[in-house]
Amino acid sequence: MTAAVSPAETSDIDIGRLTALADVMLPAAHGMPAVSDVEAVEAYLAQVLSWRDDLRQPLVRAVDALDPTSFTIDRLMALHEEDEDAYVALTSAVAACYYLSPVVRELIGYPGQVAKTYDPYAYTEWVAEGLLDPVVERGPIWREAPE
Amino acid sequence: MTYRADVLIIGAGASGGVAARHLAEHGFDVVCLEQGDWPDRSAFPGTRPDWELAIRKDWAMSPNVRNRPEDYPVVHDESDIEPLMYNAVGGSMIIYAGTWPRMLPSDFRVRTMDDVADDWPIAYRELVPYYDAIDQQIGVSGLAGDPAYPPHDDYPLPPLPLGAAGRRVAEGHNRLGWHWWPEPNAILSAPYDGRRPCVQRGVCTSGCAEGAKASTDLTHWPKAAAAGARLITGARVSRITLGPQGLATGAVWLDRSGVEHHQEADVVILAANAIGTARLLLLSADDRHCPDGLANSSGLVGRRLMMHPFSVVTGWWDDQVEGWQGHFGASITSYQYYESDPDRGFVRGAKWALSPVGGPLNHILPMRAGNEVWGPDHHVLMGRTFGRGASWAIFGEDLPEESNRVELDPERADTHGIPAPRVSYRISDHSRRLMAFQEDRATESLKASGCQETAVASMIPYSGWHLMGTARMGNDPATSVVNSRQQAHDVANLYVADASVFVTSSGVNPTCTITALALRTADLLVQHRSEQKVPA
Repeated sequence: MTAAVSPAETSDIDIGRLTALADVMLPAAHGMPAVSDVEAVEAYLAQVLSWRDDLRQPLVRAVDALDPTSFTIDRLMALHEEDEDAYVALTSAVAACYYLSPVVRELIGYPGQVAKTYDPYAYTEWVAEGLLDPVVERGPIWREAPE
Repeated sequence: MTYRADVLIIGAGASGGVAARHLAEHGFDVVCLEQGDWPDRSAFPGTRPDWELAIRKDWAMSPNVRNRPEDYPVVHDESDIEPLMYNAVGGSMIIYAGTWPRMLPSDFRVRTMDDVADDWPIAYRELVPYYDAIDQQIGVSGLAGDPAYPPHDDYPLPPLPLGAAGRRVAEGHNRLGWHWWPEPNAILSAPYDGRRPCVQRGVCTSGCAEGAKASTDLTHWPKAAAAGARLITGARVSRITLGPQGLATGAVWLDRSGVEHHQEADVVILAANAIGTARLLLLSADDRHCPDGLANSSGLVGRRLMMHPFSVVTGWWDDQVEGWQGHFGASITSYQYYESDPDRGFVRGAKWALSPVGGPLNHILPMRAGNEVWGPDHHVLMGRTFGRGASWAIFGEDLPEESNRVELDPERADTHGIPAPRVSYRISDHSRRLMAFQEDRATESLKASGCQETAVASMIPYSGWHLMGTARMGNDPATSVVNSRQQAHDVANLYVADASVFVTSSGVNPTCTITALALRTADLLVQHRSEQKVPA
């Protein structure tokens, strides 16, 4: 079972190399920070791997296979063809780290999946307002069926 | 001394829970064998930050991805759709969306009305009292008066919120002159029967930690247990046993340690979903009585598997609608293109359900649509779409074909060494025409609702939630597996309570009908108990 456990060991992953790859995947652009700007890999990779240890080995393979000095999105797509598990592990880990950052969440306006309260009888307002009237006025659309 | 129950139920999910409660409350001594465990709501991932990672592994809908000890592998190399399910008390209701539509009158008469497939041996009218009763047991939130349906009893609870997206699409449909209605959901909008209401967290399909979404571990098993039903978890059934009179005598099951047991019973009810039930009937082949599988003189056990081709059409507005929030479930539904119109080049139709689109990882990681954008364009995509969308989830009616089937795999097995099911399934050309039409109309819907951008994820493979048809109901033993009471033609004390019995798939989510049928089957068993043949 996935559980909120203590951060996992990350010594088998070259954090600097992974961050360099991640900065190509999610660079500073259009008002958003790069992965390294929010130190997302350093801050969250251990937590991500504690939740999804199955990503570890393919992530190691991805980091080993990709040269950060010449890494491009085309090369990332080539990895998809060569080793899909490594591709999935890399994109999942990078995206998860990035979108766990409170700075990033604030910028995209995402508070997480939060609980909300509401009035269950508020529907009477839009019913009274007539929102359903056109549907009702068109009449039944189901077909009578023989017994 | 061997203990013999009145009724043995195999599977504690939707149909098993409903049947167990009704039978136990009417004085039957009920035992249920369930290969999974009681769900632990504190372990559900939806309230945790790793939610979107968890649903790709430990909380995946595919048993092959989840790969827990209680799961069995489903071989699907030859299937256009991947079968999905959850093994626990409550069954796949733990991970279903919770939308709760009834089937329609025409769904039961497709041969007579549309000259395709087969009519059901029962009519819509016969199910209505059971639909009404199950709505009360489940605690359905909805609004009566939908002109897509014949009039029926009101729901016990008011509808869940429309949300900003639901409101916009409702107004769009009013402009188009198209049908929409608040979707009935098996999700509480207000406190009910000791359960708390939905908090709109938007994580229904990875388990509802609030307990607002109905599943039989909440709605039926506590009451069944109070009435005396016994539920054994971690119990994997390997075969149903037959006596010399050709009646079922019980089932052989393995506990978590692999120790074999035999549970005797007067009546056996299969409630293991349309893959698990077909698998068990095939595993129960007996050289003397049924060499091709139990209850399989028709040769139809495992055949006619239906899974509902599923497409998602997403639209994005130019402002925020908090598209990650809301019940999932659906806010509104449309039956505008549900009933047949021969001018479209196909018959039958599809139901649409408007749903949230998830958090940031669902936006960018391949799960359903395979949408991948990296580099500077990633931020453009997120800025343009995140939180601004909603999706029409479209289930098309899947007509039965005997070539779509469940068999036993000669190589793969579960953790107890029991052969795994192998699924062969192809989406038909008819379904492809039907879905292409629906996708185009749903795109029109979202554009008319003000969306600036739309995208179609057509016939997504990872979508086999609705498993139906592998032990079909019918009056003729030569062309069906069970009769209209869901009693096997070949074995008078064997019943099938799950969606295996569906003659056709309709175009709606099946759990409402599965539970209504299970309640009807249990009720008829109560009514006819004095006539029931049982082993000596």
